[in-house]
Amino acid sequence: MDDSGLGAAGVQLLTAQGERVEHPDFSLSLTNDECRGLLRDMTLVRRLDAEATALQRQGELGLWASCLGQEAAQVGSARAMAASDYAFPTYREHGVAWVRGVPPLDMLAMLRGVTNGGWDPNRYRCAPSTIVIGNQVLHAVGYAMGIQLDGSQDATVGYFGDGATAQGDVNEAFVFAAVFNAPVVFLCQNNQWAISQPADRQTRTPLFERAAGFGFPGIRVDGNDVLAVMAVTRYALERARAGDGPTLIEAYTYRMAAHTTSDDPTRYREAAELEAWRQRDPIERLSIHLMAEGIVDDVFLEGLEQEAEELGELIRAGVRSMPDPEPRAMFDHVYAERHPEIDAQRDELDTYLASFVEEGVR
Amino acid sequence: MPDQVQVFSLPDVGEGLTEGEILVWHVKVGDVVTVNQPLVEIETAKAAVELPCPYAGIVTELHAQPGEVVPVGAPMVSITGASSVHQRESVLVGYGVKHGGEPRRRARRTTAAPRAKPIVRKLAKDLGVDLAELTGTGHDGIVTRKDVLGAIVGPAPARESFDVIATGQPIIVRGVQRAMAEAMVLSAFSAPHVTVWVDVDMRMTAGLVRRMRAHPAFTDLRPTALTIVSAAFVRVAREHPRINATWVDGPDGPVITEHAHVNLGLAADTDRGLLVPVVRDADRLSLVELARAQQAVIDMARAGLSTPADLTGSTVTLTNIGVFGVDGGTPIINPGESAILAMGRIIDKPWVVDGEVRVRPIMQLSLSFDHRVCDGAQGSRALASVAAFLADPAAELLLG
Amino acid sequence: MAGIDGNEPHQMTMAQALNLGLRRALERDSKTVLFGEDIGRLGGVFRVTDGLQKDFGEHRVIDAPLAESGIVGAAVGLAIRGYRPVLEMQFDGFVYPAFDQIVSQVAKLRRRTEGAIGMPITIRIPYGGGIGAVEHHSESPEAYFAHTPGLRVLSPSDPQAAFVTIQQAIASDDPVIYLEPKRRYWDKGSVDDSVDPLDLAATPDPWRARTLRAGSDVTVVCYGPMVRTCLEAARASSEVSIEVIDLQSLSPVDYDAIVASVERTARLVVVHEASRNAGLGAEIAARISERCFTVLEAPVMRVTGYDVPYPPNRLEEFFLPDLDRVLDGVDRVMSY
Repeated sequence: MDDSGLGAAGVQLLTAQGERVEHPDFSLSLTNDECRGLLRDMTLVRRLDAEATALQRQGELGLWASCLGQEAAQVGSARAMAASDYAFPTYREHGVAWVRGVPPLDMLAMLRGVTNGGWDPNRYRCAPSTIVIGNQVLHAVGYAMGIQLDGSQDATVGYFGDGATAQGDVNEAFVFAAVFNAPVVFLCQNNQWAISQPADRQTRTPLFERAAGFGFPGIRVDGNDVLAVMAVTRYALERARAGDGPTLIEAYTYRMAAHTTSDDPTRYREAAELEAWRQRDPIERLSIHLMAEGIVDDVFLEGLEQEAEELGELIRAGVRSMPDPEPRAMFDHVYAERHPEIDAQRDELDTYLASFVEEGVR
Repeated sequence: MPDQVQVFSLPDVGEGLTEGEILVWHVKVGDVVTVNQPLVEIETAKAAVELPCPYAGIVTELHAQPGEVVPVGAPMVSITGASSVHQRESVLVGYGVKHGGEPRRRARRTTAAPRAKPIVRKLAKDLGVDLAELTGTGHDGIVTRKDVLGAIVGPAPARESFDVIATGQPIIVRGVQRAMAEAMVLSAFSAPHVTVWVDVDMRMTAGLVRRMRAHPAFTDLRPTALTIVSAAFVRVAREHPRINATWVDGPDGPVITEHAHVNLGLAADTDRGLLVPVVRDADRLSLVELARAQQAVIDMARAGLSTPADLTGSTVTLTNIGVFGVDGGTPIINPGESAILAMGRIIDKPWVVDGEVRVRPIMQLSLSFDHRVCDGAQGSRALASVAAFLADPAAELLLG
Repeated sequence: MAGIDGNEPHQMTMAQALNLGLRRALERDSKTVLFGEDIGRLGGVFRVTDGLQKDFGEHRVIDAPLAESGIVGAAVGLAIRGYRPVLEMQFDGFVYPAFDQIVSQVAKLRRRTEGAIGMPITIRIPYGGGIGAVEHHSESPEAYFAHTPGLRVLSPSDPQAAFVTIQQAIASDDPVIYLEPKRRYWDKGSVDDSVDPLDLAATPDPWRARTLRAGSDVTVVCYGPMVRTCLEAARASSEVSIEVIDLQSLSPVDYDAIVASVERTARLVVVHEASRNAGLGAEIAARISERCFTVLEAPVMRVTGYDVPYPPNRLEEFFLPDLDRVLDGVDRVMSY
């Protein structure tokens, strides 16, 4: 019984059981190294995610928004991008940041509470996490408009979830992208839940069909099928580069964990639903397929597990030893140019802190 | 290396939580545990949460039992092991778990304190006193007005201390009373006051006032001697500009500003205390207009309706102390001005006229002036002019 | 004073007190509806609406799509139809998409229709910092709303006040921005729920300030999350006698209460988490300087957050006024 909700419209190249299938409109041909690379990416991202969740439970991070279950949607789409493309993530796209080259500890710095950003967006061509729902989708469109003005062949990918599609910003982004024919790929991970609200609280029509109303194509893809996601994203990026405008990709997937570590999904979700989606795990199915094709073996998998262990150790040690910033750092980069209030208040704080008898304010 | 004991304290797992209830332990004392192994399940205000173990080692002690509510930051379990890992303190601003007990303030080195209130600083500047050289006797070493004044009149002579037994209800000086007190001190101790006085025969003025009262132009007004004295003083202020001037300590040194107009301040005794409403441009008013304006501003002041604008801007002031039954005194100049005229009571006294003693209505005038602005000659001449006007007002009004 | 079961007043958290107050409001008026993200099935991310959808139904406690502007805009329409919407903005930093609907419509419709259409809308917003949160979860936007004519702004500081004022806010025919200090959600206090918040003779007027601690040397005015901080500071201050006033109503501000206090103490300190420039403290300082000029012994001091975006949470303890900073403000005002 296929209760995945995908329907006939969902593009799939790898079934939940790990069987490779063909699709009339989309195909993908990868080298063995590229295949192993996808498995490695998803495995390490999942490990990073698990370590971060544990660290939050140990009081080392303030919060964590898990991407468990969405590794294929994120890795598949991000691996389709060129180095000079630009990604605009939400706060859950750890797989995207990983692929774009953002160091793991940089991803965790914001949740550690030592910074509001964490990495240099222009270095990795990946915008900082955006917590206000939907804001970044407009940014993606604007960046794409800049690409057009430059006459470049670059493209952008704007990430958002099912919940965000109700926000004004996202709908305005669709309008602008259509009207300006902007080279942007809208990558919507429909993980079925916006905190406690199922996707049908945000829409009365399948999300991918909304694009038609705005004047551009929408495609639903099995979000847990990394091959299909990659194939469809490649197609959409080609369209953008060719000047054919935006595409909406609805990656149909599932948020396996809670909304964040502050959330308790047992209050609103059934265990049976979770179990059904466990059967559609993105990493499991790729592993089965690659094993069957002889592209990976036990040695490779053990090596990968070892690498994951080392990553875990790096993350634990790195987060625990992450230094707190100096108090006066809160005054840095508020403005580009000197500002009298900032200078005065920075001095005021310094003077105030120095007025205490004990050294070491903490 | 001796085994280190690591203590895992309850973290804030949900953005601002303060406590958690232990539901069930997944380990017991003596168990070997690995990193991230499920340790304990707790219940918070938001959710039931499983906590993974941060350390590898052996469980030596459980600090809380199922059913116990543990505050964030309190120890839950001790683990002995090889790894030494520092667990960071929760952020929890303001919850005070760190202190345990009533929050206290942290010790400071010094707190910067300005040395004097602005008005006291201005006084010091006006008097040429250097604040830095004074020892403040006020709260927290603040320099008070008394400290500043003490610096110019010299140290107080040693006197035996005496006990003052305060009786009665202390009156807190606020508002108008306070403003008056401060103005008096400022004026008295910045301008060197000289007072000159003269007696004048008011017979002609009294006669003029009687005729004015009968005249239709003054029907709704009640002219008095004050009206004529005002007219006289205003005229004299125009002709003797040094009594209608202001001494200013400018950035490049002192400056005397002689005013182009005469704004006559009239000291009035009201329910709120001493107020000085102002008749502006008094020198441009006819006698009728002056009488009307005077009555208006005094009535308003008595009714408590004067605006701040009505009570400021005088260039010279007149005060009638005669209504209290006295002749003369040493009035204190209104700060910002250089002269003040006090008129006393009009009382019959013996007066020599053409070699013979007659009974005449005599009034004393006292003029205090700022000796920085005008000298004895100028002040005396000005007063004599006022007296001459009052001795024969009709002639002055017609011919002046 | 009896509790629910006729016993002593209950000890409960502010979140629970708000929950109980909302329940009473739903019972009182069938036109009252709750509308917000995750408030129904989940019971709200802070559990303030816990259990209400189960008891009152999905047509009284409505889970909204993820769109703040949509929530407020739809509420305007509901109000015109005769409903009494009680909205939740999930966090302070998420109210901004709704700002247009609030200031352009909610604040103005009564005036524009010359009283024909009222906006009896309550917008509940958890606000303030001190919980170690990520960006946009620790804002203090009260000045924007206090500056907007047509809106009322309330912020309770303890569970009893929360229980009473949430009901009074909902019952008010004016739009009320109801700012809940999220770092105090878990503070416990005693709540007497037998009180009828709409009985003016029996309960305090929500638009009046409360003097929570008497003192003679200096007046400290505060609201919301800073009230507990200021009370702790007053207790820790042995040499200076500090009077603490909880404004509770940020628009209108009860200036008479502040003036009466300052006339006795002659010194005023205002404390708020929000940044200093053009914050509520600036307005209070200006007003008191007008009304108490001849009485004041010192300028009005403000103890506030700095004029920077809210910092990463490892720095928030330096940004937020704490006990030491409040007493530093008191020192400064006493030094005149």
